[in-house]
Amino acid sequence: MATSLSTIIFKGIASSRSFTTPLTRSCYSGMRHFTTVSNDPDTHDDFKPSNKLHNSNVSLSDVVEQDVKDNPVMLYMKGVPDFPQCGFSSLAVRVLKQYDVPLSARNILEDPELKNAVKTFSNWPTFPQIFIKGEFVGGSDIILNMHQTGELKEKLKDITSKQ
Amino acid sequence: MSLRGASAVLSRANRIKTKLQTALEATVLEVDDVSYQHAGHAAVKETSDKETHFNVKIVSPKFEGQSLVKRHRMVYDLLADELQSGLHALSIVAKTPHETTPSK
Repeated sequence: MATSLSTIIFKGIASSRSFTTPLTRSCYSGMRHFTTVSNDPDTHDDFKPSNKLHNSNVSLSDVVEQDVKDNPVMLYMKGVPDFPQCGFSSLAVRVLKQYDVPLSARNILEDPELKNAVKTFSNWPTFPQIFIKGEFVGGSDIILNMHQTGELKEKLKDITSKQ
Repeated sequence: MSLRGASAVLSRANRIKTKLQTALEATVLEVDDVSYQHAGHAAVKETSDKETHFNVKIVSPKFEGQSLVKRHRMVYDLLADELQSGLHALSIVAKTPHETTPSK
């Protein structure tokens, strides 16, 4: 059955720390890198979030805080933007892709601890979670609603024009 | 949980309805179990519960003056127990009576 298969696959990933790092990195490969969103000429810094994830000196809540500060559109989702693993995450990505803005994302399926850190950070129980310019915006229902009302366009306007 | 017996009998949809109705004094409340649409996706692995995904439509005067995020938070707060016991995701439409056009 599909359920049990995905269970096995997921457990395989989650239980193996050594897999987590490359897979976490791979979630950036399908989209624009952090380099495209930063005004900082020193682009090396842009890769720090993924390294920090498994650096024990830095707490995961700091990682989240840094993520949402550094990335104008930050998405915590199930799967990756090019291969969402949940209908709601897929919807959020589809909405955001209507706009010419860089998307940064982390796959919370790969890291249960990160998942909990994000939930605590935003005090929001479900995924996806979308942050725009450091502000928690909501989940897929809200982003879709903001898209329909034009509020999202307004919110993303200055991000687009920076490109 | 002290309500375990009742919880086992009542479907999650019914519990959700009761909780939201009581707290939000909803004038419209629709709760649809759409778990079947998500059966087998990677994230439902940790629960054997079949009632994981719901569409919720609520019209409540208590949403008046609240942002969408606030409204969703109100719903999530009311359903905290459910979210901890296998409820996985909600699709929420939250409106005030004023926002619903009296079309009928």
